[in-house]
Amino acid sequence: MGKIEWAMWANEQALAAGLILLTGGIVGVAGQFRGWEFASYAIAAGFFVCMLEYPRSKRAKGTSVERTGQYCFTVCVKAFGPVTRNYYVRAFLHAALCVPGGFMLATVLGCVCLGIASLIYLAAAVRGEHWEPILPRKDTRKPVAESIKSPPQNPPPRPPPEIRRKQAKDVEGAAYDNPIAVTDE
Amino acid sequence: MAVSVRSWLANEAGKHFVLMLWLAANTWLFLDTYLLYSTGQQYHYLYQMLGLGLCISRASASVLNLNCSLVLLPMCRSLLTFIRGSHTMSTRRMRRLLDKSKSFHVTCGVAICIFSAVHVSAHLMNVVNFSASFSEDFPDLNLALPGLSGVLLVLILLLMFISSSHCIRVCNYEIFWYTHNLFIIFYIILMVHMVGGALKYQTNTEAHPPGCLRSSQSLQEADDLDQKQRCKEDAHFQPHYPQTWLWVSGPLCLYCVERLFRYIRSSHPVTIVTVIRHPCDVVELRMLKKNFRARPGQVISINMKCVSCNSFQCPTENKETFGIHLRIVGDWTEHFAHLLLPQPRAALEILPVVHQRRYPTLYVDGPFGSPSEEVFNYDVSLCIAGGIGVTPFACVLDALIERWKSFRLQRLYFVWVCRELQSFYWFAELLCALHEKLWKENRPDYLNVKLYVTQKDCQQSMSELRYRPLAARLQVGRPRWKLLFDEIGKCNKDKRVGVFCCGPKRISRTLHRLCNSVRSSGATFEFNKESFS
Repeated sequence: MGKIEWAMWANEQALAAGLILLTGGIVGVAGQFRGWEFASYAIAAGFFVCMLEYPRSKRAKGTSVERTGQYCFTVCVKAFGPVTRNYYVRAFLHAALCVPGGFMLATVLGCVCLGIASLIYLAAAVRGEHWEPILPRKDTRKPVAESIKSPPQNPPPRPPPEIRRKQAKDVEGAAYDNPIAVTDE
Repeated sequence: MAVSVRSWLANEAGKHFVLMLWLAANTWLFLDTYLLYSTGQQYHYLYQMLGLGLCISRASASVLNLNCSLVLLPMCRSLLTFIRGSHTMSTRRMRRLLDKSKSFHVTCGVAICIFSAVHVSAHLMNVVNFSASFSEDFPDLNLALPGLSGVLLVLILLLMFISSSHCIRVCNYEIFWYTHNLFIIFYIILMVHMVGGALKYQTNTEAHPPGCLRSSQSLQEADDLDQKQRCKEDAHFQPHYPQTWLWVSGPLCLYCVERLFRYIRSSHPVTIVTVIRHPCDVVELRMLKKNFRARPGQVISINMKCVSCNSFQCPTENKETFGIHLRIVGDWTEHFAHLLLPQPRAALEILPVVHQRRYPTLYVDGPFGSPSEEVFNYDVSLCIAGGIGVTPFACVLDALIERWKSFRLQRLYFVWVCRELQSFYWFAELLCALHEKLWKENRPDYLNVKLYVTQKDCQQSMSELRYRPLAARLQVGRPRWKLLFDEIGKCNKDKRVGVFCCGPKRISRTLHRLCNSVRSSGATFEFNKESFS
């Protein structure tokens, strides 16, 4: 089986779950339903999950496509070092965050989606994956060779004077066979 | 580039027409159901209790019914292949519409997601209104919403939707495939979603016209006697029978039959005859299967037992065997090639040892129709291939070598753009053989080959004598598409040229735009795209 990168799927699932949690929270607070405090928590939790999950990780193999404008998020997430790098931490964090969402109808969907994302992250962590930031490649310019800076000191090599005199007098004798075949194509 | 009306109509009219039809059907269904619930006599009391939420939830439910039934039809690939193949049943215009079946599936899928969100929001409103206006007068009407099945449905839909995003399909196709196969659970739950009979309608609207006065109520004003009648009896309510199965069962059965047929057809493993390694990480695999008949240009899908993944290539047929070319670019193809090719031996052996080659068990699903089959149905065709995208056209060339006279095609322009020179060796023999044959049979203008190598510092050329026709037609640098189109247009005035593209998105987008743009010459270019993802 090809090596499946579970983290990529977990990332998409968690981002979507964050958005659903956020939407459900907004609906819950706007409608002032019973238990709207859970909805306000869901807004905060959904926003946090979206921020955390927006920067895509660098793929272990193959080209990584980053999301639009994710560089600043990458820098922030990278700043937390091993906490955000490790997928076990993310799995347990998402599992803990999703629990309060289950107490209200408007946020229950976000809760379940985040729970599923947490399970997929656990699978990714068990397989040894971790989060790598996608940083812009620094193009190292090839060092300019020394010989380019200074002009050549010696003239190009020429045949000895006798042959040069021969070439000037006897043009036909100076003719030679071209080593590479020239065909009219 | 200005858009030419005639070209735009030739390329875009068909699919936009189908899109308009689909939008019209959805709009009509939505409005019709909305009006039924907002003005219908039998829903009067329900409407009073729940309000706008009722109408929107029911209207979005009927749109969902339609889209859930339509979404399965474009995925019946064997049926579509059959329709495409039977020329009596389909015209070229219809076959070009069949090329867009995957896009239609995606459109219906997106509509299902959007209307599910609308439906869920409307039901949330209903929950609020229900708890607010719990009716003491009409206790029969109180709803117990089938919440659990609804939540499960949305959950499965979300799983399917999220794992079908472009990056996951490209990187990990198996995740997409296995989550998408949850559709069967989705449909089963969908059909039992309304079995609880939560939605009720009034059955005796003649005897009890909605808004009539009950015998217990006293008259407020004398004028009302004429307008409002007395109720003859109390309102009776009856639950709706679930209707989703009427919409969905037909396409679902059809799709299940299709899957069963594909499973039975691909249950016999193929015999691998040869495995050839080509330059630039390409492996050619020749196989043998009983009763396998593929038309040139069709697509097959490969399934390895131990790996259980799929890949899509185009077969080249050679009387008994059929073959595919695949490029080693990801995990699956690497593993596949590793199983097929002999490992390089480190130590030199004096005597060659014959090893019994143990190939993995392979199953082939297909063949399925693809846009490249149409190459033969135009008078003039332009085939543009990018790198390994040449495989659909390789089988076209193969078929032409055998029987070029039997097709409608009068002229073929073949443009192949590769990054490295070595890539052209994959099909150099085939191209030269066809070129040779056509020259001998006095049709030198039939095949026009143009090869482009885009690597900047490419100095070499194909030096072998037998590949001289290709070396002469090789250019360094990217092709200039506008000039190419102008040249082809001038040589083929007032003809329909079929443009077939199989390559990177950048090239196909440029070509699509060029096909739709104004032409000084009279030729109309019809764009057909082949893609594998």
